Amino acid sequence: MEKEIIFEAKHMRKEFGPTIALKDVDFTLRRGEIRGLVGENGSGKSTIMSIASGMQPATKGEMFYKGKPWNPGSMVEAQDAGISMILQEANTIPGVTVAQNIFSGHEAEFSKFGVISMPKMKKEAQKVLESFGIGHIKAGDLIDKYTFEDRKLVELVRCVTDQTEILVVDETTTALSLEGREILYKLIHKMADQGKAIVFVSHDMDEILEQCTDLTVLRDGDIIGHLTRQEMDAPDAVKTIRYMMVGREIGDKYYREDYDTSHGSEVALELQDVSLGRIQHFNLKLHKGEIIGMGGLSGCGMHDIGRIAYGLEKLSGGKVLRNGKEIKTPLQAINSGIGYISKNRDTEALILNGPIQDNIVLPSIPALEHKTFISPRAEKKLSDVEIGNYRIKCHGGKQYVNTLSGGNKQKVSFGKWTAKGSEVIIMDCPTRGVDIGVKQAMYTLIENMKKEGRAILMISEELSELIGMADRLIIMKDFEVTHQVERNPDLKQTDLIEYMI
Amino acid sequence: MTAIVQEKEKQTLQQWLKKHGSSVASMGGLLFCVIFFTITTGLKGESIWSASKLSTLIGDVIVTALMAVGAVFIYSLGNMDVSIGKQIGLYSTLLVLIGNSTGSLPLAILACLAIAVVIGIINGSAGELLHMYSVISSVVFMMVLSGISTIIYSNLGTRNISMNPGIDLTLFRQPWFMVLVLAIEYAVIGYFFYFTKFGKYARAIGANQTATSQSGVNIILYRVIPYIFLAVCLVTASLFQMGYTGAASDSTGTGFEMNVMVSLILGGMPLKGGMKSRLSCAIIGSLTFSLLAVGLPIIGVPTNMTFLIKAAIFLIVVLITCRQKGGALPR
Repeated sequence: MEKEIIFEAKHMRKEFGPTIALKDVDFTLRRGEIRGLVGENGSGKSTIMSIASGMQPATKGEMFYKGKPWNPGSMVEAQDAGISMILQEANTIPGVTVAQNIFSGHEAEFSKFGVISMPKMKKEAQKVLESFGIGHIKAGDLIDKYTFEDRKLVELVRCVTDQTEILVVDETTTALSLEGREILYKLIHKMADQGKAIVFVSHDMDEILEQCTDLTVLRDGDIIGHLTRQEMDAPDAVKTIRYMMVGREIGDKYYREDYDTSHGSEVALELQDVSLGRIQHFNLKLHKGEIIGMGGLSGCGMHDIGRIAYGLEKLSGGKVLRNGKEIKTPLQAINSGIGYISKNRDTEALILNGPIQDNIVLPSIPALEHKTFISPRAEKKLSDVEIGNYRIKCHGGKQYVNTLSGGNKQKVSFGKWTAKGSEVIIMDCPTRGVDIGVKQAMYTLIENMKKEGRAILMISEELSELIGMADRLIIMKDFEVTHQVERNPDLKQTDLIEYMI
Repeated sequence: MTAIVQEKEKQTLQQWLKKHGSSVASMGGLLFCVIFFTITTGLKGESIWSASKLSTLIGDVIVTALMAVGAVFIYSLGNMDVSIGKQIGLYSTLLVLIGNSTGSLPLAILACLAIAVVIGIINGSAGELLHMYSVISSVVFMMVLSGISTIIYSNLGTRNISMNPGIDLTLFRQPWFMVLVLAIEYAVIGYFFYFTKFGKYARAIGANQTATSQSGVNIILYRVIPYIFLAVCLVTASLFQMGYTGAASDSTGTGFEMNVMVSLILGGMPLKGGMKSRLSCAIIGSLTFSLLAVGLPIIGVPTNMTFLIKAAIFLIVVLITCRQKGGALPR
């Protein structure tokens, strides 16, 4: 017997100026489902549920929630009615406590005669945190004290209440640590068992296939097809889904196929006895034409290594060297041919409130300068090449970055450094939130960079891409290197996980 | 087919309005003032476009516009400078004092430029070096310069000083010269703002300082340079301020920083700075502001009331601008 329909959208259409995000979509969600939504960046997968959860209105179409017409005016209204969405981007309120974040908008529950009882709120918040299994986060602490990954968990706690009937998880897992993901998976399965519905938007195919009961594939604002659990278990399911997403055969080649770890003898970047906080006496030599992969859990110190190598941190000891010269600032790093793709895309890598073109050309401005004059034509030319290479879905370089989907934003931050022609590229989570079609193109690009003799430091939480791409893999745990291994065909994720946890 | 074409035209119009909405609004405000004062002054039997009123209008707009064009650079950083008025007061005073004692106006201008550049460097770098909002250092300068002005005038034993008749200032009273200098300043600053790294980096810093810094931009340097552009513009404005009357007093420049701020806001300048900052805001805003200043008394509004009306307009525009998503006041 088919389960009860909890949410339905009919002929849903969404336009952003000339861009059509959703064409004419019919979407049905039933109780007990964990529905995966997959598609390339800009396919419209996040848009459907952002409309359902009151974040933005549809241009056309109707929605029904629990059998009644549904047209939420805001996310708060939707959340109160039982539809909660955890967003891809950071969404906590800085400068206040964890407890205040959790109960934001519900302060009245803790107030008497207009005065809020903070101890009562803190106590209740701690109880909720414990019930989610994240008691290490203290309700009385300022939210700013916690990492991005922990703040994401606080968002989860804030979104999910007993009244939640539909939980939308929008590419959240890429921002969670391994433990955080486990907590989320447990929660969504528990909710599904209780007859609630979950919509899971993700680029991680393994995760989708493991966690979801049903799958919907979107492409260019249209629903291309649905897969049942049985169909998802078919041997060639991944290939079928990829074909549906991209609309063409993307081939079997994904990562590098060679196992040739040879590289130039010249050292392109050296970290010499570097110390910063809990990282002590760290050494690294990255050669021309070499890809070094760094893996580990999110807080293991690997992201700090990337920042150190780019001159973003003031070291307590040691030095970073490039061509014999010490690198102490990003300016020195860039001038010596180093590029850096930050993990914190929206706050550090991109000017969201600025055009794509201005973002792409920003590091290249000195190169475009001719006796102080910067030609708008030269800027456009440089930017258009990157927009074309990465197939950034936009209607021109003048479009603002904040109007792009997550993956397309990531393409812009990648394009900044390929436009600059950097010889050493430090990539911190370079393919975070990027769809498979573009991931494949990025991996090919990274492989070509190696062939051209560029040196790459690839920091990633995705072990599969490190195994697939790196010549040498360094695993870190608790700010120390726990394992190093050369590229080889027998290397598996399971061989490395024990050194991470 | 026609429906599709109409739909596309509608989308293009919506997109254009979204992009140029604030320009349309500020230009609309200016046009409204032009039409309103043309009609109302006519009803009073006068014309705001008569030669004498036009000359007054240009005389009124020139100082504000010269200051505002330079200030666009500062506002694009997301900063504001409240010491502008006191700087104008000091430079006007020094132009008279040095001009009278040396008999050379160029020497007085050079001395003012040197002081203005030093103030600009300190103002621009202090925020970043001392990790505080840039406006704080400009508040400090406002107080310090106010103190210096008091000391100068109390030592002189007068509240106002005049330029020696030996130095000819008639050029600074000519409307054509005012317009010419403003056009040159606009063209030069426009070049630096739109076609060089100085303007591009200033807007990028205003939009996201961290991302700009990680793209290899020396934040301190490119925060200081806009203040140097402002310094040059302020000395130019002081020349016209002092040149118009041939005198300076302890109250010269009082409240000019607010005139600049109101003009920029009326001109559609985003208060938080960033990529949407435009130089045209300075001219559109200054013209609107001066039309109000010149037009309101003609139609019979008492002078003290004109301040109230300007304040009310300022408040309304700030409320509208800052209530927008992500809106913030300059710092």
